[in-house]
Amino acid sequence: MKGGGLRLYALIYLLFLYAPIILLPLFAFNSSSIIAFPLQGFTTEWFAELTGVEALHGALKNSLFVAVITAVFSTCLGMFAARAGVMHQFPGKGPIMGLIMLPLVLPEVIVAVSLLVVAINVLGIGLSLWTIIAAHTLICMPFSIAILNSAFQNLDASLEEAAVDLGESRWSSFRLVTLPLVMPGIIASTLIAFTISLDEFIIAFFLTGGEPTLPVYIWSLLRFPQRVPVVMALGTLLVAVSILLLTIAEFYRRRGVRRSGQQDHGGFL
Amino acid sequence: MSGPIISLTGVTKHYGSFQALQPTDLDIQSGEFFSLLGPSGCGKTTLLRTIAGFETPSGGVVRIDGADMAGVPPNRRPTNLVFQSYAIFPHLSVAENVGFGLRRSTQSKAEKAAAVEEALGMVGLEGYGPRPTHAMSGGQRQRVALARALILKPKVLLLDEPLSALDKKLREQMQGELRRLQRQVGITFILVTHDQEEALIMSDRIAVMFEGQIAQLATPEALYRQPDTRQVADFIGVMNFLPAQFVDGSAEIAGLGRVDLPDNEDGSGVVGLRPETLQVLYDGADAPARIAEGDVVEVTYYGDMTYYDVRFDGADKPVTISMKNLAGRAVLERGARARVGWDPRALVVFRD
Repeated sequence: MKGGGLRLYALIYLLFLYAPIILLPLFAFNSSSIIAFPLQGFTTEWFAELTGVEALHGALKNSLFVAVITAVFSTCLGMFAARAGVMHQFPGKGPIMGLIMLPLVLPEVIVAVSLLVVAINVLGIGLSLWTIIAAHTLICMPFSIAILNSAFQNLDASLEEAAVDLGESRWSSFRLVTLPLVMPGIIASTLIAFTISLDEFIIAFFLTGGEPTLPVYIWSLLRFPQRVPVVMALGTLLVAVSILLLTIAEFYRRRGVRRSGQQDHGGFL
Repeated sequence: MSGPIISLTGVTKHYGSFQALQPTDLDIQSGEFFSLLGPSGCGKTTLLRTIAGFETPSGGVVRIDGADMAGVPPNRRPTNLVFQSYAIFPHLSVAENVGFGLRRSTQSKAEKAAAVEEALGMVGLEGYGPRPTHAMSGGQRQRVALARALILKPKVLLLDEPLSALDKKLREQMQGELRRLQRQVGITFILVTHDQEEALIMSDRIAVMFEGQIAQLATPEALYRQPDTRQVADFIGVMNFLPAQFVDGSAEIAGLGRVDLPDNEDGSGVVGLRPETLQVLYDGADAPARIAEGDVVEVTYYGDMTYYDVRFDGADKPVTISMKNLAGRAVLERGARARVGWDPRALVVFRD
């Protein structure tokens, strides 16, 4: 068979990538509390148990709160930066754009520790969900900017001018013309920032006060072996939600591309 | 008695130390088809965008229909702009694009729909309303952009190189249609173009611009026949430049001999001759006013025309002569001798 070696490589690669994730639902529906093969009977007991844990509900609520606000902040700020970067010229543009993209490569531990110092010692505001939101916005913004940059780059700068010329104000031109055209980018940016924030651990771990986020809560659960199947069930749900969100995002992105008649250059899915 | 529809007084524009527009005075009359012509970077687009309100002049006054436009944003000026890229909104249908400017009007839905259909009819796109714009050709997009700008019945329609993206055939067709449309609606059109032929074909008057300044403002015919400067003459069509010595009301032109040219100061200068004002003389041709002889050094065959480069005896550089290729008229070959007739009335004198 031609290219047999490469096919085998591709197969192993995909297996390595996705097998651990496939194990999640496998053990989530397994009736044994020990995570090992062979599988025992089928059960939904672990999912049922999820609904009863108060602390989990709190953590989930915290995470959703943080992720939603982070996604909105990051996308809004990213939109300002991307629009300025693509449509305007100003002194020091290069270094400024470089600096706001920097958190992309900063180690999260460093960001977490320095923000901890800032929050406690410098500002003295203590730790809360808002400190996590601030830090998550910081690390999500480069992703938002990168996504929105390409959305704005595809945009003809004279479109907004044309709307102004036809009687609209600056703001309504943006709302009527630019916003619908970059909407796929906005949805993509929001969902990616949401996902990054939702599963971010290090920063949340350092900056969390009395209210843990979901990853921090899951980490604390792992210390109790008998709770591991519950974590598996939780993970299964998270994977399902992620796939659902990305599918929705891709649907909107493709619809946007189709509507505006642009060439489809492939999405993030 | 109505004044000019557009009146610029001492309008300047600079970006930092770069002077995009020297102090410019310009009056454009109502109902005129006016062109701003010049090479890229000459300030013609800056001037157009200043009238539209997208650029704020660094100095001077812009008046539209008598009203000072200082501080008036583009959305409140009685002008509409057709962008070079057309700037068609890709997420809206043809009808939504054309009707975009009516969003703020108080007309009823039916009235707006009728206005859209009327505007589409004006540009020959009846029934195209529900279509998406991305399926349209360049020429159709151009028409959508025109209809969208005209639906607001502006006092002045500004066109920024509207035909430059079209292929030659379509461009020529649209030139005719724009001219017809302008007569039909009676709105003042101001066209920015770098294509001298386009400007000549379409305009009532043309302002030729170089380096942020209007070099000459005239009708197409005056611009072609009597260009003020060598730069203008060189930009509009083809012009042969010949060195000349002026003495006592006559000029000695290299290769062509002496002609009477009164009212010129003594000294050296340059005269110009358009290629079509010279003619290669075939046997039996009528004797023209003047005759010169020379060698054919280059032949360029265009099908309907042939361009000959002929070096006259006693001249350094050849002059270009254009001849129609009539039936039975042979095309001269390179190296042949040519007798050339010309008329002193066609001479243009440059003293710059």
